[in-house]
Amino acid sequence: MATRSAALKIDWAKVSTSLGLRGQTATSLQAFKKRNDDARRKVQVLSEQPQTVDFAHYRGVLKNQAIVDEIEKHFKSFKPATYDVARQLKAIDAFEAQAVQNAEQTKGKVEAELQNLQKTLENIETARPFEDLTVDEVASAQPEIDEKTASLVSKGKWMPPGYKERFGDLSAV
Amino acid sequence: MPQLVPFFFVNQVVFAFVILTVLIYTFTKFILPRFVRIFISRIYINKL
Repeated sequence: MATRSAALKIDWAKVSTSLGLRGQTATSLQAFKKRNDDARRKVQVLSEQPQTVDFAHYRGVLKNQAIVDEIEKHFKSFKPATYDVARQLKAIDAFEAQAVQNAEQTKGKVEAELQNLQKTLENIETARPFEDLTVDEVASAQPEIDEKTASLVSKGKWMPPGYKERFGDLSAV
Repeated sequence: MPQLVPFFFVNQVVFAFVILTVLIYTFTKFILPRFVRIFISRIYINKL
């Protein structure tokens, strides 16, 4: 009964909207809800049907008492089949623990990423414009510049390739 | 006339070579690499 009341308490429409579920998760949730509804409806229909048999009436009506006795015996000895759901429940618990762990991990990752982004944003906001930068600052931010300079100078090249094509040539000769 | 001073041309030749050497050294070691560095920095910040 406890699970049934829990299922009744869930506001299904709210679950899918408030959690922002999309795609496969939403469809599987819908399917699960449908299964739950179907099962509940079936239980409702079956529990409305009469569950007792008036054997005295049949004994009065039928001549063959033996068959009534046999049926009554069978009826009394009938027990509804019980299913052991402990294993499924355990599996669900394990799955939930795994899911919670995954969610925690993702949360940590997202938080780290957020911090990183915040730092980057701060960096961008406090950065000075290009006009105020010096060559030393640019070179210290990108050590590759010094390496490239050294390699060009050691080859005796005083103009980086592609510079003139890009920015024009101011030399008079 | 100064050309008539003894060893005047030797002096000229010596100073010419010394000055040329110093010029080439300072340009290759200090001045031109600075220009190259400026050019490469310009290419880099234009790529950003």
